[in-house]
This record gives sequence, structure tokens and C-alpha cells, in this order.
Amino acid sequence: MRQAAKHEITGILIAIAMILGAPDSSRAEMAELLQKLNFNAYSRRTIPPEFNGRTADGRDVSLASLRDKVVLLNFWATWCLECRPEMLTFERLHREFSAQGLAIIGINAREEAASIRAYAKELGLTFPLILDPAGKINSTYGVIGLPTTFLLARDGRAVALAAGPREWRGNPARALIQALLAEPAAPKETR
Amino acid sequence: MQILAVSADNPFSQQTFAESLKLPYPLLSDFVERKVIRSYGILNEKIMTAVRTFFLIDPQGVIRKKWVLDNPQTTVVYSDTLLKDIEGIIGKK
Repeated sequence: MRQAAKHEITGILIAIAMILGAPDSSRAEMAELLQKLNFNAYSRRTIPPEFNGRTADGRDVSLASLRDKVVLLNFWATWCLECRPEMLTFERLHREFSAQGLAIIGINAREEAASIRAYAKELGLTFPLILDPAGKINSTYGVIGLPTTFLLARDGRAVALAAGPREWRGNPARALIQALLAEPAAPKETR
Repeated sequence: MQILAVSADNPFSQQTFAESLKLPYPLLSDFVERKVIRSYGILNEKIMTAVRTFFLIDPQGVIRKKWVLDNPQTTVVYSDTLLKDIEGIIGKK
């Protein structure tokens, strides 16, 4: 009897350790990846501001419409030299991970739809490029330099931000995206 | 000495701004009500943002000096001007 109780307690303790241990280890892994990529992680739960916009090819996109997805929100412009190589990598990531729930969204800074369409055609970009002619979304997000990128988790929280270009081609970026894609979405009532 | 920066921007926007510039002092958000900005008498009612202003407040909480930048593009408050007045209050280091 005593032996059985001991086994039961051990079993419960192992189960608790597994429940507590998994989020801690994945949190630590994510923190390490964010550090490697030189991202600034949000230290407390932060919900990014809502936005509504129209893409250069006429699609309406809002943050609310991206619910339950991992969102990579990149602020850019056609004249931004450092944005160019990132855009090519984002296109590759979009093609590879969009089916798994990654939404890559480009938010332009104060440019005309025609020049954005020409740029997208030249680079072969197919992910949504939102217009922000008055700079309203840029201002709401506090963007003062390009590129600036935000990573948002499936549960709607802002995970990290990067002011300036980052290395998206290597394994750390892919591992980070995969770790975010592996997270569960938030239950409806908590969003 | 403590530097505090107040604006009518939302906290998320301020956080991005602070991270982008690696600011070593806190930014305080007066969004949505603009209570602080209004109470300091520097709200631009047209665009609902603060007129760019520096207040120098002494340890007793008294405003000792104020610089209003009506046109921030043409008016500049030089840091040595600020430093001189700060030293006048807390003494030279």
C-alpha cells in the first residue's frame, strides 16, 4: 500500500515537473533565440495596437483578421536599402511557413500603391504589403526607422521587436518561427 | 537627477521608440486623456499632442525653468544650456 502511494506521488511529481518544465524550457529556448537574433523581447505581456489597412493589390487586412496566426509585421519602404534583402528572405519564409500559420505582413511608409506594386513585381513578393499613406500605422507602432519588425504570437501578444535589419536566413530565425508556430492560440475569451 | 519624457503616444508606440533609440530613461504615456500634458498647459488642441517643452523641476517639486519649442524644427535647446541650469539647482559635479 505504502509502495503504491509512493509510486502515485512520484507519478504526480513527474507529471507536475513535465507540465511546469516544458513551458520554462521553451521560454528559455525562445529567449536565447531572440538574443541571438538581437531582438528586443517584451518583458511583460504586451498586446500590439489594432490596425486596418489595404494592400497595394486591394486586399483589406487587419490585425484582428490574423487572429491565431504567428505574425511577422515588417515596416519598410522601397527606398530603404537595408529592407531589400530582408524582403527576399521574407518571401521565402512566407512560401515555406504560411501554410503552417505564419503571416508575413509588410507595412509600407507613406508611398504610392503603384511604386509598391512595381517593387513587389520586381522582387517577386506575394505576401501582403499594406499601404500607410498618412503614416498612421507607422506612428501607432512608434516606428522611427526602417526596417522595423515585430513578432506577434498566436495568442496575440507581442513577442519582440527589431529596430533595423536582422539575419532571417539562418537557423536561429527558422527555429524561432518554428517555436512560435508550435505555441497554442489563446482561448477565444482571453483575446 | 531623473529625466522623464511624457507624450500623447500610446505605450506600445513609446516602447518601440525607446528601444529604437536605446533610451536610458522612462517614457510616460499620457494617452488617451492627455491629463498631464493639459495640466502643464502645453496641449496643442488642434493635433492633440504636446507642444515640445522642457520643464526643470527642483527636488521640492517647484518648476524652476521652462523652455517651450513652438517650432521644434527651428528652435533648439542646447544640452549645455540645460546642464547649466541643472547645475544651478543641484550643484556642479
